[in-house]
Amino acid sequence: MTAFAGIPHNTLVVAVAVAAVGFAAGVVGSFGVLRRRALAGDAAAHATLAGVVIAFLVTGSRDLPTLLLGGFVAAIASLGCLVLIRRATRTRDDAATAIVLSVSFGLGIVLLSGLSARGVPGAGGLEHFLMGHTAALTAADARTLGVASLAAVLVVWLGLKEATLVAFDPVFAASAGWPVAAIDYALITLVAGMVVVGLPAAGAVLVTALVVIPPVAARQWTDRVPSMLLVSGMIGLAAALGGVAASALVPRLATGPMIVLVAAALFAVSFFFAPRRGWLARRRSALAAAGK
Amino acid sequence: MAATDAAPAVEFHDVTVAYGRRPVLWNIDLAVSAPGLFGIIGPNGAGKSTLVKAALGLVPLAGGSVRLFGRPLAEVRHRIGYVPQRETVDWDFPVNVMDVVLMGTYGRLGWFRRPGARERAAAREALDRVGLADVASRQIGRLSGGQQQRVFLARALAQEADLYFLDEPLAGVDARSQERIFRVLDDLRRSGRLVIVVHHDLRSAADWFDGVALVDMRLVAAGPVGEVLTPENLRRTYAGPLDVLDELGRAVARGGRTA
Repeated sequence: MTAFAGIPHNTLVVAVAVAAVGFAAGVVGSFGVLRRRALAGDAAAHATLAGVVIAFLVTGSRDLPTLLLGGFVAAIASLGCLVLIRRATRTRDDAATAIVLSVSFGLGIVLLSGLSARGVPGAGGLEHFLMGHTAALTAADARTLGVASLAAVLVVWLGLKEATLVAFDPVFAASAGWPVAAIDYALITLVAGMVVVGLPAAGAVLVTALVVIPPVAARQWTDRVPSMLLVSGMIGLAAALGGVAASALVPRLATGPMIVLVAAALFAVSFFFAPRRGWLARRRSALAAAGK
Repeated sequence: MAATDAAPAVEFHDVTVAYGRRPVLWNIDLAVSAPGLFGIIGPNGAGKSTLVKAALGLVPLAGGSVRLFGRPLAEVRHRIGYVPQRETVDWDFPVNVMDVVLMGTYGRLGWFRRPGARERAAAREALDRVGLADVASRQIGRLSGGQQQRVFLARALAQEADLYFLDEPLAGVDARSQERIFRVLDDLRRSGRLVIVVHHDLRSAADWFDGVALVDMRLVAAGPVGEVLTPENLRRTYAGPLDVLDELGRAVARGGRTA
């Protein structure tokens, strides 16, 4: 308890906000995973880096919302490229995703290293968007991320029925007159937005893990979408907090890798020990069936 | 036929559908009136499912038009129910039986409104009719194939439609489920609905359907079962281009030997 009082106000605000980011990433990511759009989200995530650097080059500002807006535009542009490549060249999904991911990320790295090689003033710190670094966040920035996360969760809650319907059975949804393509675009835009909000915490390379690992782990524990969203959110929250704690304690440690490792540990626990779907439970029921 | 519906429940006018450059259905002209239990029958790849999808606006028409109850689809969507093929969804999806059946009420609810007491009652009644009331809270992956098919049927019943399209509702279904499904479809017919079923089993077709359409890219024949399911029509439906090639090949081989 004495340690709690010793934590600076800024660190506390950042911790709460990043926890909200982790929760929202778990919730929004669930629909990315259920609709099988995890890879597209990864391409969007890698593209954000170029967007962040370009936003800095164009505006000369290091203002976080400005940089993230650049990231969001790049994420959407990369998803647009994905659709175009698939349509125009009949390239298969996985190949098109790999192309967009690597090219957009390559562009981001070139721009970033160009900046640091020329020693452009004020460019220092942009490399944090590569791996995530929450210790560098101000309380005001953290609040922005927290509010954006809450908004994302609210949108999912509002459209829960529609998103579940389209993720489960898009053909039936279309037959009943639902605009499946529009709902799909809304979902992937939300995932892209979430990836951008998670960028300062987890970085362009690893932020996908924050929207993919918690839902997959959560699926092990539950058989309903609403409870899956909740469990996924809690796992995302725990992973995000783990990353923040590590980043605060070890000054030079990037947050992203720590978040991913905590999430992976929670996934491993879910994989082995979840009731019924866990490895142990399935093994036990297989043995029981064999013993009969 | 309901008194208000002077027009046939389904009318295909010269419908042509192509996937890319490959034509799947050619110049289909077909009108079916309610009530009835109507089978769409033909070999694999004959375009049976596509015909249903064309009626539901799920595939673009390369030519022709479809009218339902004498109107364009958009005006009568709420009167249509649909049972897609069972393999089209992931049965490991985290929803239970009740969740899926409630999806049948979503069209009536519209955007953002959640199912309430009325929708739950309708879903429970639908589950009762297909004999699945006791597994309402079970995850859908932990059902047999026949039970899964009945969940889809219950979802369509919850749509409270006047016209139903079912795509292969008996594929991979046990005898008990099959019996139950046909009893439900028969009830729908008795209450004045038209039920259109894509079906692959010729033997059971004559027992269950009032009318059938034989389809093999083109409409071979349509009408009452007794008139349509003739040996001549069946031969024309099931002797596709492959068989023609096969015959041609044998003729050439014979020609070679005699020469």
